Amino acid sequence: MFKEVRKKVESFPGYLKSWVGTFKGGLTIFCLIILLIIPLLTQNAYYLGEFFTLAMIYAIFAASWDLLAGIAGQVSFGHAIFFAISGYISSAFIVYFGFHWIIALFIGSIIAVVFGLLIAVPCLRLKGPYLALGTMSFGLILFLLFTMGGLSEILGGSGGISKVPPISLNPVIEYIITLFIMVIVFIIIIAIAKSNFGTILKSIRDDERGSDASGINTTKYKIFAFMISGFFAGIAGALFAMHYRGVNPAFFQPLYSFYAIVIAALGGIATIRGSALGAFFFVIVTRIFENIEFFADVEPLFFFSIILIFTIRFAERGIITPAIEQLKDLWDLVLGK
Amino acid sequence: MIEEFLVLGLIQGFIYALLAMGFSLVYGVGGVLNLSHGGFYLLTAYVFFWNYTSLGVVNTIIISLIMITIIGGLAYLFLIKPLEHTPIGVVIGTFALAFFIEQFVQFAGDAKIHSDIPPLIEGSIEFLGFEIDAHLLLIIIVSLTVIVSLTIFINKSKLGKSIRAVSQDREAATLMGINADRILLYTVMISAFLAGIAAILYIPKDIVAPHKGWSILINSFAVVVLGGMGSLLGSVAGSFIIAFVGSYCNFYIDPSVSYLVPIIIIVVMLIFRPQGLFGKKELL
Repeated sequence: MFKEVRKKVESFPGYLKSWVGTFKGGLTIFCLIILLIIPLLTQNAYYLGEFFTLAMIYAIFAASWDLLAGIAGQVSFGHAIFFAISGYISSAFIVYFGFHWIIALFIGSIIAVVFGLLIAVPCLRLKGPYLALGTMSFGLILFLLFTMGGLSEILGGSGGISKVPPISLNPVIEYIITLFIMVIVFIIIIAIAKSNFGTILKSIRDDERGSDASGINTTKYKIFAFMISGFFAGIAGALFAMHYRGVNPAFFQPLYSFYAIVIAALGGIATIRGSALGAFFFVIVTRIFENIEFFADVEPLFFFSIILIFTIRFAERGIITPAIEQLKDLWDLVLGK
Repeated sequence: MIEEFLVLGLIQGFIYALLAMGFSLVYGVGGVLNLSHGGFYLLTAYVFFWNYTSLGVVNTIIISLIMITIIGGLAYLFLIKPLEHTPIGVVIGTFALAFFIEQFVQFAGDAKIHSDIPPLIEGSIEFLGFEIDAHLLLIIIVSLTVIVSLTIFINKSKLGKSIRAVSQDREAATLMGINADRILLYTVMISAFLAGIAAILYIPKDIVAPHKGWSILINSFAVVVLGGMGSLLGSVAGSFIIAFVGSYCNFYIDPSVSYLVPIIIIVVMLIFRPQGLFGKKELL
């Protein structure tokens, strides 16, 4: 067994080299290098924070949704629940109990996992739009509970928790750490999607009855999918709370659930990488809209809703993925394939 | 107190009934849960709100109803029909339309909450010794007419029978020569029309705001889940149950609790009795 492990570790550099040689691998490395260079170009808190760090947080959030909806077929419209609960719990642990942010982030995400379980169980028999509206209802319940203050005394209620310290006061460090977390999360989620576990999730997505008949315990896998997705959404939520120095009931809004859906759909449902591309596209275009005179009146979400309609109608794999593939064809052409 | 409770329950009951019947029809006939149902309501509400002063109430009513029916048809042709084979596609497609409508009304108008729409008919009427608000009477009369006509239409007319046939067994209906796609198109248009009527009747008593689309959708879903998907009787029964429970919470417990009512009903029904009170996929 030792020999096998050693063989795998030794073949890793070779594997890495051949991966970089492929178009997708090369492009990914290229993007990562650019992301690493960005802090050298600007240390401005606004540009780093509101363009890139935020995009990375949304990327993690959308990727977690993509895992649940695109890979496992459970289209959840209440993803903001995991996002917000983790935001609240991790903020509480940092502010009220003085924990280090890494530990608080984990605790928040674990609590989000618990919520994943709580939501998965009632939703087991729901499919498609029923699942969508059921999860949206859960999201609304929590939103209303937190806004209307049944939970006012615990966890800050309708005012939320404020004065949450960021990962670092230095925007560059915050950026680097967020980037690091994003890369790790994506590697893990993509690994999950490509693994046997991921294949089982896909089979549940494509034909639940068939999978069940083949002996797969669909209940178990669906619950796992919710829990794992909740974990990563929780990571995003904790990062978001720290980025904005606070958390409040608005985190539970259906709007944030919609962000996950829009971003993942733009990038391509079931292509985990697409969430990253979609997130950057979404955040950067939003900022551009905010800063250019010509678009001052136009709400960026209006623009995205139109794109979403056309994307889902004509390009189920998102607009970014086919664009990248066109690039790939161009690249092959140039290389004289 | 009890009058207000009854009045609100009655109004909401009829409005929800109109909304839920359309929603339930589309599901029963096409298997599609139209997430943009709230959007149809919202769009009609806003179009009416923007134009009733300049074009006159009656004209605006006619124009908005025609408009929303056509838009419903276009939504079917452009979004629902092409995507009907991919379940995720329909869900996200109809959602995207609802999202778009919410953004559009803010873009074309503003994001504020408007609560000052005057009633369609002013004044009150004496009836059996009670002073009844004329608008309330209008709601009751129009809704009853619509509900009864719709029921007769579904049962007796040729198109209605085609609708029932497609809802019972789409393939068999197609084999019998019914163009199921066309029937579904008409059904979506009818449901949009009903949502439009509901909007016009309700907004003088309620608000015009962008987020209203979602609460209308959740309410319609709650009614249909409670009453049973595809059952018109269930939709009517469910609407009044939810309306009166909500009204009770509004006046006797706490207004904010009434928001929770439809949501809790959804969650409870989906867990314990997903087929609703009057169950299964037959109409009536």
